[in-house]
Amino acid sequence: MAVSMAAEWSELYNRFYRKQEMYTMCWQNVDLSRHKVACANFGGPIAIIRDDSKIVQLRSESARAKLLIYTASGVLITSFLWDRPGGRLISLGWTADEVLLVLVQDGTVYRYNIHGELTDRKFTFGKEVWEQGVADCIIWGSGLVCLTEANQLFAVTNLEDPQPIKLADPHLEEPPHCMAIIDPQFTVSGNVEVLLAVGTTVLIVDADAVQDHNLLIGPLQKMTVSPNGTFVACFTHDGRLLVVSTDFSKTLVDFNTQSALPPEQLVWCGLDSLLLYWEDILMMVGPYGDSVKYPYDEPLFLIPECDGVRILSNTYMEFLERLSDATVSIFKIGSTTPAAMLYDALDHFDKRSSKADENIRLIISSLPEAVKACIDAAGHEFDISQQRTLMRAAAYGRAFCSQFPRNKFKDMCRTLRVLNAVRRFEIGIPLTIQQLEVLTPPVLIARLISQHRHLLALRISEHLGLGQETVLIHWACSKIAAASDVPDGVLLDMLVEKLKVCPMISYAAVAANAHRKGRRKLAALLLDYEPRSSEQVPLLTSMGEEERALVKAIESGDTDLVYFTIFHIWHQSRKSTLEFFRIIQSRPLARDLFIVYARVSEPELLKKFYVSIGAPQCCAEVFLRESWSCAQSIVVRQGSALQGPRVKLIEQAADLYAQTKDYSFEAKAAEEHAKLLKVQQDLEAATGQPIFVDSSVSDTIRTCITLGNHRAAQRIRTDFKVSDKRFYWLKIFALAMTKNWDALEKFSKEKKPPVGYKPFVEACIEEDEKDEALKYIVKLSDPQERAESYERLGMSAEAATAAAQTKESEILGRLKSTFGQNSPAGALFDSLRDRLSLPGVS
Amino acid sequence: MAQIPSLDHAPINLSALREQAQKELIQILSSVRGKKVLVLDPKLSGPLALVAQPSLLKENGVENLYHLSADPVASECKNVIYLMRPRMGLMKLISSQIQQDNIQKLQKNYTVVFLPRRTIICEKVLEEEGILGSVTILEYPLYLIPFDEDVLSLELDMAFKETKVDGDLSALWYLGRAITLLQAQFGVIPNIKGKGKAAVQVADILNRMQREQMPDANAAVVTPEIDTMILIDRQVDLVTPMCWQLTYEGLIDEFLTISNGAVELDPTIMGIAQSGVKKAKVPLNSSDKLYRELRDLNFGVVGQVLRNKATSMKQDYNDVTGGGPQHQSVSELKDFVKKLNALPELTRHTNIAQHLSTFTTKSKFLTRLSIEQTLVEGLSYDISFEFVEEMIHRQEPITSVLRLLVLLSLTSGGLQKKHFDYLRREVLHTYGFEHMFTLSNLEKAGLLKKQEAKSSWQNIKRGFRLVVEDQDDANPTDVSYVYSGYAPLSIRLVQHALKGGWKAVDEVFKLLPGQSFDRKQGSQADQSVLSRDGSAREGSVTADSAPAVDGRRAVVLVVFIGGVTYAEISALRFLGAQEGMKYDFVIATTKLINGTSLLKSMVEES
Repeated sequence: MAVSMAAEWSELYNRFYRKQEMYTMCWQNVDLSRHKVACANFGGPIAIIRDDSKIVQLRSESARAKLLIYTASGVLITSFLWDRPGGRLISLGWTADEVLLVLVQDGTVYRYNIHGELTDRKFTFGKEVWEQGVADCIIWGSGLVCLTEANQLFAVTNLEDPQPIKLADPHLEEPPHCMAIIDPQFTVSGNVEVLLAVGTTVLIVDADAVQDHNLLIGPLQKMTVSPNGTFVACFTHDGRLLVVSTDFSKTLVDFNTQSALPPEQLVWCGLDSLLLYWEDILMMVGPYGDSVKYPYDEPLFLIPECDGVRILSNTYMEFLERLSDATVSIFKIGSTTPAAMLYDALDHFDKRSSKADENIRLIISSLPEAVKACIDAAGHEFDISQQRTLMRAAAYGRAFCSQFPRNKFKDMCRTLRVLNAVRRFEIGIPLTIQQLEVLTPPVLIARLISQHRHLLALRISEHLGLGQETVLIHWACSKIAAASDVPDGVLLDMLVEKLKVCPMISYAAVAANAHRKGRRKLAALLLDYEPRSSEQVPLLTSMGEEERALVKAIESGDTDLVYFTIFHIWHQSRKSTLEFFRIIQSRPLARDLFIVYARVSEPELLKKFYVSIGAPQCCAEVFLRESWSCAQSIVVRQGSALQGPRVKLIEQAADLYAQTKDYSFEAKAAEEHAKLLKVQQDLEAATGQPIFVDSSVSDTIRTCITLGNHRAAQRIRTDFKVSDKRFYWLKIFALAMTKNWDALEKFSKEKKPPVGYKPFVEACIEEDEKDEALKYIVKLSDPQERAESYERLGMSAEAATAAAQTKESEILGRLKSTFGQNSPAGALFDSLRDRLSLPGVS
Repeated sequence: MAQIPSLDHAPINLSALREQAQKELIQILSSVRGKKVLVLDPKLSGPLALVAQPSLLKENGVENLYHLSADPVASECKNVIYLMRPRMGLMKLISSQIQQDNIQKLQKNYTVVFLPRRTIICEKVLEEEGILGSVTILEYPLYLIPFDEDVLSLELDMAFKETKVDGDLSALWYLGRAITLLQAQFGVIPNIKGKGKAAVQVADILNRMQREQMPDANAAVVTPEIDTMILIDRQVDLVTPMCWQLTYEGLIDEFLTISNGAVELDPTIMGIAQSGVKKAKVPLNSSDKLYRELRDLNFGVVGQVLRNKATSMKQDYNDVTGGGPQHQSVSELKDFVKKLNALPELTRHTNIAQHLSTFTTKSKFLTRLSIEQTLVEGLSYDISFEFVEEMIHRQEPITSVLRLLVLLSLTSGGLQKKHFDYLRREVLHTYGFEHMFTLSNLEKAGLLKKQEAKSSWQNIKRGFRLVVEDQDDANPTDVSYVYSGYAPLSIRLVQHALKGGWKAVDEVFKLLPGQSFDRKQGSQADQSVLSRDGSAREGSVTADSAPAVDGRRAVVLVVFIGGVTYAEISALRFLGAQEGMKYDFVIATTKLINGTSLLKSMVEES
């Protein structure tokens, strides 16, 4: 059979092309000539609808047109009556996500999924288009451009968020002869560009400007832009096919087709040849002006792919492609390349002929490349037995090369399995290996999923080592949608049974879907399987299960999640404030976090909360805090700040504290605080100095004494019941600080000081007043204290005498001996350093 | 010498941790194109300096660094990156800066980077201030920062207060996350022990995170590099941080405050004559070889060590100069020159030690120390009470007063009723009524209370042998040398955990607050699979009580929830260095603290 293989090839200049059948179409009684047809790329589905712009004979069918969606092998996926309003159907086409766009006359675009279900995301081209009516339209993978009856152009380039843009006005009186678009991904500006054939020239229109190339090649009757956006193929009125660069500066091909009629279809086959279709004839034109004709007695529809063209007729789906180098090297008639020899060797081997060995010996040095070619060629075959033969040839050759990369062989087997699986006519996705590479396996899986081919998608994911999670989740969601009459428990078991394959699968995602489908109970049941609280909690809140959400959030220990729930309950749910308080009150973490937040942002709410839970003492704290923050924004009059508002707040706090017996200390303190503020305000008013407010009771006394205001000091002492001891310390240091030595001495003699004479000594030493200090040292009763005081004054003899009378405690002695003699280390070191006199060390 | 510590000798690969942090930082910086200014949460500049050199910022387009304050950033630069802890107060400051820019019609790009993660509460503040829409929000998931080859810290200075006083457990979640990340890198830690409420909470969070995590095929195969983790809630041992640390490093921290692995010193201390010069920053980490030797010693010994070093160097010098050239071999000279390299370090530490001794020789310090020691021994409540009273009357700094007051309360099972109200009133009168909050915080954290039952301190002290008499600080045999006679309770817990378990001291162990746990992680099934096919690693799986069968020292991660002091770290290093000890310790904590800084977090700024 190998002999005949190359016989079916067509040769254009030095390249070989092959047209082979992919499917015999499963459909019946479909006549493409009567229909508008749209096929998705990458072996995608086919949508057809009767073309009402043509005069067709209605056979035994309804007067209303039906929209039918088939797989590429012609298996009907769905069909439905076309009954959308908006006038004549202008155009239909598939997006890259296999969404079918249908544009009607008034500018409305309907979107259908592959199952013919209208998604609720239709959009329109706006008022202007509605008024003018759509005349023509081009749909590409990610957008569409329409031309109105008034010759205006509109584009939508982002289907996720469809915002129609009006392109620059080309100022046309008559509709253009034809139009084409350059995909935004290939233009310099990144916006879509529309080519309009007008008169003898071509206009390039984008959002901002119209550019006229002032060409004389026209009138052009057909234009198509190459798949990489760099060339335009044009069919002129006089039957010539031109290939020019998109800026129209260079002509690469000028081929006379000898046909006065323009072709019905003009498409690119890969990047180097073009297909032209007239009724009954398909012509391929190569880069060097060679051409091949294929006769057809059926209407055709051409579907350009990245590596060839699919040819759809009423009976067949064919594929026309340029042959890969590997295939040519093996099967070209008379080929003696190592790959061909290897392929031949296998044949001999199978026939048990010794020539097999001869062949191998001949090519032994280039065996690896022969093996590689066989593997590559296998990838390009549709016929499974042919794939097998090529792979066997590769395996046979590999046995003789020691270092051929193992995984190449393995990868190809894996890929072929996937390709063969999706090519089966039941599935009907005739992908080539190159297309799979461009499409990528994850997208293929997504397409299978959206066609509800879950099992196959799962197997492929598994086979290729991709995550199964997406497939399983989609399956589960579809299952839930389809099983509306299955009881929750049964459905749950069915779902979990399958989902548990993937340990970290997001049950929350499935639960969210169940919730959207109105199955709350099922959603709740599913959520229990979700290990991640961060997934559980948001869903529970949106399901209105706030308390459960809060419990889960708290369990997680994630404070952010708890806040999320708290805020949700507080703001989004329709719960009353009291209900909210009740919910958080019983849960310490939620309560505490709420308090932390409210303390800063919602003090009034916090007060209400504390009142509601019967905690006046906490409420009091809020008032106290308020009084402090109030201090920053106090009104100042005549140099002194008015403390009225603060005092009031503090008094309120005091009252609240007083409500609970346990907080009498705090109540008293708050009372005193209020009293102190008032006293301080009066003092500031009296002295005209803003130095009192917010100092402590002790400091206020000290300040008064320093200012010589002994009466005020005395009054505060009694008002605040300051102990004798503390008052003595304060007064001694205040007097020493102002160097009021006489007063200090007088004070020491008022009565026997309750704090002894030590504070007097210390105060004097601190002020560096040796003589004053000595007055009090002699009065010290403890010899050790005396010794230390003398030492501090540097009077070592006296210190020694005093020390002799003491028995230093053991611990002091030990510490002194170690810490006391610090100088030798330093001195020794210094002398050493000096003698070395190292530069840079200081 | 760099502030960034060298991590080459770390028992686990901490460099990888730091490199990851650097990579993430670069990623964040380069996500904002062009020149930019970086506005820092003031509390983050220190930790950041431990992760990346300033040059790294410059190389990634940072023109200028600012600390966040109420004033707007004085820069023309169009790109502003705020690197912040997720705190509400900071969000308000950012908002006011951006609002001021808006008033002046300055068009800038703002990016707020949250460390370690964005929080809803902060976004809410930004939303309320109306600027959420005009900022880009990013996260910098920096959790544990390596401070030295054996110390990791989250640097959450409010962690203790927030968890124990406010009930905000965010810090515990962060710690859980941090440990989870460690486990992702170093394998699932097989043995986990813990004591105290927060320890239980963190362990729960860890458990849950593990359940929620992708069962990574690799993680199961990785041999755990960390053998045991011991979680200790600071609340279990509050006495230790209230005592003065008496190690060299501890004393530097107490008197001069170590922040982010460095201490700022007056140039005069360092022997630089001219005054008025800005403070000199001296890095303190194990890259300094002499410091490595000195840091964990009792300060009483440090002077002697330094003296010996100087003497020996002088001897060497005499040999070199006195012997004449004919007696000198080149290699001897080389040795000497090598020793000279240590000279700057010797100078530095002599200066610091000298400076410290001006504090330690004061009678004030010595008296206070003796009071502390009587308190820890649980004797003479009255003397201590009077001492505290006098401190208040002298108006000594409030944190200093509180430190002793708290110690008094902790070791006496609370203050006697009359003293409780009296001292609280004296504090309020002396330091101001705003300390109502401080006192209430202390009570909530269990640092201060009214005496209700007999104190259990005596039993705890005896049961754990916390007070050790006749310790030779120069040649210590027990960890108690770090407090000159008091062995930190926290370290005793670690010792028991590693030796015979806590069951052995069950009676006294129960007297400590909070529950405890001791469990294994990572399914046993996995381990048996491992041992079956990995014949090379035989024995390592069963090595839980007796590690190091193959000579490898087991790594023990000790996690202090709520902070750890330098003296405690020293004690653990001392333990690790003991003969026959088969463990290397790595310490992780929420913050490096001392009693003063812990109490400062309790004092609210009003």
